[in-house]
Amino acid sequence: MLTLAVIVPLLGALALAALPLDAARARPVATAVAGVPLALLLLVWATYDASGGFSAQAEMPWIPSLGIAWRVGVDGMSLSLALVSAVIFVAAIAWPIRVSDARAYHAWMLFLAGVSTGLFVTLDLVLFYVFFDLSLVGMYFLVGRWGHGDAQAAALKFFVYTLAGSLLILVGIIVLALSMPDLTFDMRAIIAAPPLSGPVAGLVLLALVAGFGIKTPVFPLHTWLPPAHVNAPGPVSAILAGVLLKMGAYGLVRVALQMVPEAFARHALPIALLGLASILWGALVACAQDNLKRRIAYTSVNHMGYVVLGVAVAGSGLGPEAARQIALTGAVVEMVAHGLITGALFLVAGAIWQRASDHDMGHFGGLAGPAPRLAGLATLAAFASLGLPGLAGFVAELHVFLGAFAVYPWIAAAGLLGILLTAALFLSMLRQVFFGELPATRADFADLTRRETAILGALLALVVLIGVWPAWLLSLIDAGSLVPTLGPGG
Amino acid sequence: MIWALPLLPAIAGLALWAAPPPRPGAAAAVMAGLTALLAALLAGAAGHLAWSEALPLRASLPPLAAVVAVAVPLVALPVLLFAAADRGPALPRLLGLLLVFVGAMELVVIANDLVTLLIGWEIVGACSWALIGHRWREAAPMGSAAYAFVATRAGDLGLFVALFATFAATGSTGYDALSRLEGAPLALAGWGLLVAAAAKAGQVPFAPWLLRAMDGPTPVSALLHSAAMVAAGVYLLARLQPTLAAAPGAAAGAMVLGLATATLGGVAACRQVHAKKVLAASTSAQTGLMIATVGAGFPGVAILHLVVHAAAKAALFVAAGLAHRATGSFDLHGMRLGRALPRAAALAAPAALSLAAVPPLAGGWTKEEMVAAMGQAGPAAAMGGIVAGGIAAAYSARFWLLAFAPGDRAAGHVAPPRGGAIALALLSGATLALSALWLAPVRDAVARGAGVALPAGATAATAASLAAVALGLLAGVAMARRPGPAPRSDWLGLPHLIDHAVVRPVAALARGAARLDDAAIDGQRAGLGAATGLVGGVVGATLRASRAAGRGGERLADLPSRGGARLASLTGRDLGRLQTGLAHHYYTILVAGLAAGIALLFLGG
Repeated sequence: MLTLAVIVPLLGALALAALPLDAARARPVATAVAGVPLALLLLVWATYDASGGFSAQAEMPWIPSLGIAWRVGVDGMSLSLALVSAVIFVAAIAWPIRVSDARAYHAWMLFLAGVSTGLFVTLDLVLFYVFFDLSLVGMYFLVGRWGHGDAQAAALKFFVYTLAGSLLILVGIIVLALSMPDLTFDMRAIIAAPPLSGPVAGLVLLALVAGFGIKTPVFPLHTWLPPAHVNAPGPVSAILAGVLLKMGAYGLVRVALQMVPEAFARHALPIALLGLASILWGALVACAQDNLKRRIAYTSVNHMGYVVLGVAVAGSGLGPEAARQIALTGAVVEMVAHGLITGALFLVAGAIWQRASDHDMGHFGGLAGPAPRLAGLATLAAFASLGLPGLAGFVAELHVFLGAFAVYPWIAAAGLLGILLTAALFLSMLRQVFFGELPATRADFADLTRRETAILGALLALVVLIGVWPAWLLSLIDAGSLVPTLGPGG
Repeated sequence: MIWALPLLPAIAGLALWAAPPPRPGAAAAVMAGLTALLAALLAGAAGHLAWSEALPLRASLPPLAAVVAVAVPLVALPVLLFAAADRGPALPRLLGLLLVFVGAMELVVIANDLVTLLIGWEIVGACSWALIGHRWREAAPMGSAAYAFVATRAGDLGLFVALFATFAATGSTGYDALSRLEGAPLALAGWGLLVAAAAKAGQVPFAPWLLRAMDGPTPVSALLHSAAMVAAGVYLLARLQPTLAAAPGAAAGAMVLGLATATLGGVAACRQVHAKKVLAASTSAQTGLMIATVGAGFPGVAILHLVVHAAAKAALFVAAGLAHRATGSFDLHGMRLGRALPRAAALAAPAALSLAAVPPLAGGWTKEEMVAAMGQAGPAAAMGGIVAGGIAAAYSARFWLLAFAPGDRAAGHVAPPRGGAIALALLSGATLALSALWLAPVRDAVARGAGVALPAGATAATAASLAAVALGLLAGVAMARRPGPAPRSDWLGLPHLIDHAVVRPVAALARGAARLDDAAIDGQRAGLGAATGLVGGVVGATLRASRAAGRGGERLADLPSRGGARLASLTGRDLGRLQTGLAHHYYTILVAGLAAGIALLFLGG
C-alpha cells in the first residue's frame, strides 16, 4: 500500500511527461494522481495499528549484500507527516496558477510528491537518502524554471547548499550502517540497537545535525531559504515550506535522535540553543522584511526553531519523562501545523503575486475591500501562525514550551519572546496588505476564485480542527514511542 | 455541559455574522440574555475535556465566578442594543464579534486550569484586535488594534511562564496544582499571573493600550472597559488570589501596582478632554483599585466592585456615544448637552455618581469596602485608596458636567436612537438596583451567596474617604469650569516612553539583524563563489548545453507528437541541466562522502 503511494505519483509524473496530453488538462490529471497517495495513506491510517512499532510494513530485497532493501512502514510521526505532505501536494497542485509548459510543471510536482511520500514512509536509510536528494532535484527545477526574479541563482544556491547538507548526512548514514554488527541500512534494526558510542557517535551526530539543520533550516544555516522562497511560484513555496523543510526536521528525529540517542543526549543543550537562536533570529529578521514572501520565509526559520527546541528537549535525557514526551509531541505537531499554515500563507502570497506581480507590502493596503475572502483566510492563517489558541500552531507551541520549560527553563523563557515578535510582525503584515486605505492602482484587485477559496479553506479547516480538537492527532503521533529511554549520558 | 457557556455566545456570534437575521440587534441581545440565564443555571457545575492526553481542560463555576459569568452577558445585552442602534458599518460583524468576545470571556471565567484559562485569555485578546480594528478602512484603527494585541500579549507571556512553572513543578496544569507550589515556581506563578493581569487590566506600564483602543467603535469600548478584557485581568487575580498571596512579594506588588495606576490613571483622566479617553483612563484607575483590593486579600470585594463598575462604565460609554451622535465629536469642550439630551443626561448621572463613589449609589458602597480592605493591609494602602478615590470623584464629576451639564445647545436637535436610550436606561437602572448593596440584608445575602468575605471597616478611614470624595467632587466642579487644552501626551507621557524605550529599539534591532542576515547571504555568495566557481562553471556550461538541447528538444517535440519524442524533449530540457553537469560533482561528492565515512570509522574503531 505504501509502496503504491510512492510509485503512483512517480508513474504519473512519467506519464504526464511522456503522453501527448493537452496542457490544459495537466492540472486536473495531476491533481487526481496526487490524490491517490492521499487516499492510500488514509487507508493505512484507517487500518493503523497503534500498538507501537511500524505499521503497513513491506519489504523487497534490492542489494542484499549491502543490506539495502525496499523497506516501507509508518509509525505515528511518519504517517502524520506523510498525510500532511499528501494534503499539501494536492492543494498545491490543484492551485490554479498560470505556468508555461504546464505538463512539465505538473510532472515535476508529481515527481516531488512521490519522492516526498517515499522519504516519510521508507525504512531503509539508503532509500531515505536517495529520496532526500531527489527532492532537491525536483525542487531545483521547479524553482529554477518556473520561478521569477533571480530564480536560477536562488535555485542553484538552494541546490548547492542542501547538497552539501546531504553529503554530511550520507557520511553519517554510512558510518551508522557500517558499525552495525551485520551491515544493514534497515532503520528498524538501527533504532532498536543504536550501534555508536563515544567520539564517533559525537562526530556522526554533528554531521547529521548540520546536514538536517541545513534543510530544516536552523540558524545560521538558513540563508538559502529566503531567496528560494522569494523567487519560487506560490504553490512551489508552499511545498518547500510545508513539505521539504519537514524532511530536515523529520530526519533530525528519525536519524539523529533515534539512531544516535546517546550522543544526542550529551549534546542536547547546544542543539536546544540552536533552536532558540532560530526562534529569535527568525522572528527578529522577519520583523524587518518589507517583502511579503521574505517575511513569511523568515517566520519559517522561527517556527522550525520551535521544532528543533522540542526535539532537543526530547533527546536531552533530562527532566521528567512526561515533559520530554510533551516536547516531542509539540515538535511533531509543529511540523504538521507549520506545513498547513505556512503552506496556506504561501498560497496567499502566490495569489497576490498572480494578481499584482508584486510582493512589496508597502505597495498594498486595503485589499480586504476588493478581496474579502482572501483577507479573511489570510487573517486566519496569520493568527494560526502567531499561535492563537483554537488553531493548530498554539497546540504545537504550547506542548514544545511546556516540555522545554521543565528541562531548559531559561531557553524556554527566552524563546517566549519569539511568540511576541511573531504577533507583532503578522499583525503589521495584515495591516499593511489588507487593511487601511486601498491604493488606487489596486482598485480592480480580484478576490479569490471559488477553487482557490476551497483549497485554502480546506487547509485552514484542518488547522482549525487540530486547534480545537487536537486529541486525535496527538494520539496518532504517540511521541512516547519516539523518545529514547536511556538516561543522561547513556 | 458547562462548556456550553462559552460555546453558546461564540457560535451564535459566528452564525449571526455569517448569516445575519433581519433584526440582528434583537437576536444578539436575546443570545446575551440566554447566556446569562445559562450561567445562572450552571452555577456550581464542573466539566472535564480530554483535549490532549497530557493536558485535559477543566472548567468549574464556583459562586464568585458565577457572579461574573452572569454579569458579563447582562452588561453585554444593553451594549448590543446600543450597537444595533448606533448603525455603524458592518453591523452583523460587530454584533457577532461582540458575542464571540462574550464567549471567550466566559471561557476565562469558567476555566479551572491554566491551559483553559490561556485559551480563553488569548481569544479575548484576538477578539479585542478584531473589534478595535472594526473600521479597518480608516488608517488608525488597525494600528491601534495591533498595539493593543501586542501589548496585552506581552503581558500574556507572564501567564505562559506561570503555566510552565506550574507544570514543570507539579506535572499538572490545574488550579489545584497552584496550591502545591513552593519556592521559585511559586514566585514565577504568582508574579507571572500578576503581569498577565496587569496587561489585560490596563495597569502601568501597559496602560496606554487602553487609550489606543478608543479607536474602536463606542459599543466595543463600552464592553471592553466594563465586563470583558479589562475585567479578565481583575477576575484572574481574584480567582487565583491564594497563589498571589502565597507568592513572595506578589500581593504587595499587586497593591503597589494597583494604587500607582489608580492614582496616575486618575490624574491622566482629569487631564483628558476627549470623552472616551477620560473614561478609558478612569478604567485603568478603577481596575487599579480592584487589583490593590485583591492584593490586600479581599478578592470578593474586588469582584463586587468589578460588577458595579461594569454597569456604571458601560452606561457612561453609551452616554458618550449618544453625545458623540449629537455633536459629531468626542471633544468635551462645548458639549454640555443637558438641554439637548435631557434624558441621557439624567440617566448618565447615577452612573457618574456611582463611579465617583458617592453614597448612596452602588459604587460608593463597594469603594468604601475596598478602602476598608486596603486598611487591613496597612494605613499606607488605605491612604492610597482614599487619595485615588478622591481623584475618581474629581474625574467623574468633571466628565458629567462637561458632557451633560445644561448648556447652550437646544433640545430636539438630534434625538438619540431608541436602542441607545434603552441601553442607557437599562445600565443606569442596573446601577440603581445594585445600590441596594447599601441595605444590610441585601449585602449579607450577597456576601453569603457569593462567598464574599467583607472587611471590617474603620470609622476614621471611612470618614476620611468620604471627605476625599467630597473634596474630589468640588475639584471636579472647578476643573469642569476650565477644561483646558488637550494634553500634549496621553497618559502622562507613558506611550512616548514605551515607544522610545521598547518599540523603536526593537525595530532598530530587527533592521540591524536583517542587514546582518543579508550581509551573511552576500558573504556566502562571495564565499560560495570559490566553492561554486567549479560548480558554477560546470553549471553555466550545462545551462548553455541544455538550452541547446532544449531547443533541439523543442524541435523534436514539434514532430508528430509521439510519447518518446516528448520524453526526449523533457529530458533534454530539464534532466539535461542536471545530469550532464552537476552530476559529476554529485558523484564526486558521493564517493568523497563514502571515503570520509570509512575514514571516520577507522579513526573511531
